Amino acid sequence: MIKKSLVAVASTSLILSGVLGVSSTAQAAVNICQAKNITEAGGMDKLVAAAKKEGRINLITLPRDWANYGPMMDAYEKAFGVRITVDNPDGSSQYEIDTMKNAPKSKQPDSIDIGPLVVTQLTPPGAKPLSAPYKVINWNDIPAAAKDSNGYWYGNYGGKLAIVYNTALTTVPTKATDFTKPDFKGVIGITGDPTSSNQAFMSVLAASIGNGGQGNLADVSKGLEVYKAAKAQAPLVKVNSANLVSGAAKVGFMWDFNALGIVPAAKAAGLNLKFAYPTDYVLQAPPYINAINAKSPNCANARLWQEFLYSQNKGKVAAEITAADIKLPGSKLFAMLQGGQNYFQQSGADPIMSAAMKKKGLLLPSLLDFEVPAGAKIVGPPKISDVLSAREQIIAAWASL
Amino acid sequence: MEKRGVRKGASFPISPSSILPALPFLLIFGFFFLFPISRLIYVSFMSNENTFTLGNFQTAFEKPYNSGFVNSIKLGLLSAAITAIPGAVAAYFIETRGSSRLKRTISSMNGVLANTGGVPLAFMFTAALGIQGFLTQALKAVGIDLYANSFSLGTFTGLLIVYLYFQLPLMIIVFSPAISSLRREWVEAATNLGANNLQYWLRIGIPLLLPSFLASFLLLFASGFSAYATANALTVGNVPLTPLQIGGLLDGNVSAAQLNLGKALGVVMIVISACAVIPYLLIQRRVARWQTR
Repeated sequence: MIKKSLVAVASTSLILSGVLGVSSTAQAAVNICQAKNITEAGGMDKLVAAAKKEGRINLITLPRDWANYGPMMDAYEKAFGVRITVDNPDGSSQYEIDTMKNAPKSKQPDSIDIGPLVVTQLTPPGAKPLSAPYKVINWNDIPAAAKDSNGYWYGNYGGKLAIVYNTALTTVPTKATDFTKPDFKGVIGITGDPTSSNQAFMSVLAASIGNGGQGNLADVSKGLEVYKAAKAQAPLVKVNSANLVSGAAKVGFMWDFNALGIVPAAKAAGLNLKFAYPTDYVLQAPPYINAINAKSPNCANARLWQEFLYSQNKGKVAAEITAADIKLPGSKLFAMLQGGQNYFQQSGADPIMSAAMKKKGLLLPSLLDFEVPAGAKIVGPPKISDVLSAREQIIAAWASL
Repeated sequence: MEKRGVRKGASFPISPSSILPALPFLLIFGFFFLFPISRLIYVSFMSNENTFTLGNFQTAFEKPYNSGFVNSIKLGLLSAAITAIPGAVAAYFIETRGSSRLKRTISSMNGVLANTGGVPLAFMFTAALGIQGFLTQALKAVGIDLYANSFSLGTFTGLLIVYLYFQLPLMIIVFSPAISSLRREWVEAATNLGANNLQYWLRIGIPLLLPSFLASFLLLFASGFSAYATANALTVGNVPLTPLQIGGLLDGNVSAAQLNLGKALGVVMIVISACAVIPYLLIQRRVARWQTR
């Protein structure tokens, strides 16, 4: 009799704990897509376990050679055993927004990296936001101006504009106003159309602050003046790798973090290029922006990827991760990986949390071999409202410069 | 003599046996052509808040987008006008005087040249005629400085020169069938009736070739009007062109205040292209009866 009731009690408690166990994991699985921070996701161990279970993550428009994304993706894949697929690596920010709006569920990205000029499309007035709110572990280390207070988007890494020039030139360009020197007639250019290219847009801003417009970042008329004056001497050329190598373009503004890719490639083609910051005013451009897609199919990986990108840790890169490390519990494994912010730092891009990381002593040295000159002043980053008003000026004036 | 006019009251033959074989094509045509176009037209009337608006079209006809239309049309017309007659003459001599081996060689060559565009074409011209191009240096050595004035490949004039590279072969390809439809019998008949060379051309040759010539011209216009990749590789927004503006709005990183502006530009571009291609199709239909005899 006692045995039977014991068995009954034992089996009931077993069933109950099984049911509770199932329901609590079911609850955790349901909540992951609604989790707004690591706590709601159940903690790092649970998040890593859920991500490993999902096994894949969809990323979009991330070239491997952009801001160290290649090494970051290798480390993430190796550590967590997750397969990363990148849709349209050389695509534009507008493509990312349109994919989130229109693509079928299987093609939806989990996490996006967009330029600052399309970020307003994430939160259209009177409609649901395209992104899901999420605040990473060190949320407070992101400057307030670079994030949405509800967590719908957050700045990730930014660049400064540097002048790239061909060392064969007899005169060295040192600042934006040098662009109008007759020595550079016909070989001055811009990397693209500022009404469609983020880098070209920021070049106009960089020219503006170097021509007296540093006080008001919403007004780029001074920058347009610089390019208009250069164009008056000779038409502007397109500053891309083909034109730099052929010598058709010799001077222009470019992202400083491009230097690590462009200078060696140019050297291999027999060309000496040098990057140097302007000696008077250097533009800190608004950061590229990250967000989690509201329609994300792999919710745990979307959040783990964000935590990885915003991790400030010094640690192991892909080649250094061992099989033993991979077996560690999620939080321990995460803690010994080099964090995304340091990957960006090494690529020459400025991680958004650099100020806080410097204080904590976590910032690795940048691999750029040129620095902001002692006498130069770093201006910016401009607010989103500044760049939107600058955009209107550029769209109105650029074609008829 | 048979009367070959349009049959009055002829009805469109819609019977199951004629529709069924055409069904796959109609489905593909509907899905890849009609559906995207109707969707494009629908969205071009949407404001940022998804309400009906004419605002996108209003902006499409203001600066800098109206300059885009003007420049694109100019570029199409000029590149077609400059290459139409030389191309027609070249087609004539190749078709009538060339050996079959020459015809085949030129035909393959034209096939490649007419489809050369975009970044490779831009780089070819930069390497040749850029400020450090080898042709530029060669001309400089002879005393001709191309860059003395404000010449550059990245201007309207520069683009026009680059466009000629693929427009001329395209003209030869498109116009050659018309030449080959000029029967020798007609030349002989005309000579027998006492016409000299000039009379033949004025009374028979040119009137017969004129519709095809116009049709080819329109096709060249459409080709020059809508070319994108070459202009994108050479210019930095300083030459407003509609395909570039659409590309920048639909697939850029800067966007614009009105989110559906690019779609409105696309609709206007479709209308302009239709104005060029539909007459081409009508003319071709008229000419076909001479070409298949």
